[in-house]
Amino acid sequence: MLTSLSYREKTLYASLAAELVVYGPYFFLHQQNSVNKVAGMIITIIVLQIVLQSIIAALTRNRVTDERDRLIELRGYRAGYLALASLMVIGLGMLWFHATVGHLRLESPRVGLHFLSVFFGMLVLADITKTATQIVVYRKAL
Amino acid sequence: MPAIRNQIRELRALREMTQQELADRVGVTRQTIIAIEQDKYSPSLETAFKVAIVLGVPLEQCFEYDSRGKR
Repeated sequence: MLTSLSYREKTLYASLAAELVVYGPYFFLHQQNSVNKVAGMIITIIVLQIVLQSIIAALTRNRVTDERDRLIELRGYRAGYLALASLMVIGLGMLWFHATVGHLRLESPRVGLHFLSVFFGMLVLADITKTATQIVVYRKAL
Repeated sequence: MPAIRNQIRELRALREMTQQELADRVGVTRQTIIAIEQDKYSPSLETAFKVAIVLGVPLEQCFEYDSRGKR
């Protein structure tokens, strides 16, 4: 199956795998989050992406990208933007709701970390949406 | 039915050319040739001309537009 994939598809699968492996535990294992963990994850994902993309580039002889790749990339970015915009609207709505009913205590020392987690999560979900959309469109053989 | 249909598979078979060979000569990926042959992707005018030139036929022999088809 791997040989039937284009260079761009292989890089997308690698990106998605890296994102799920690095971000998954952060968001789905209810652990204590911290600024250091977020910074560590960002560094980890950058290093992992460089390693994976280098391996794929080294193993793939034909690294041609064409007009269809660019079209699919644009579709992915559009889906990612829509996801990010939707999540921002939902997030701001929830912020307004909690501020209105009095659940939000801005003086709490953890509120900054909470915001960081929420907005970082939105970015991650938008990025995963972008990558997953591109993979789906490739599979549909657009 | 797609708006743009093509005869690439048949023309390629006549010339005993593989999808990869056609893709290399046109400058696209093999997956793009597969998508075009399956009528799932309508190429740009530039790529359509290149495909026709590589296959050695006029554009209209290679691609066909059906105004009743969906885009």
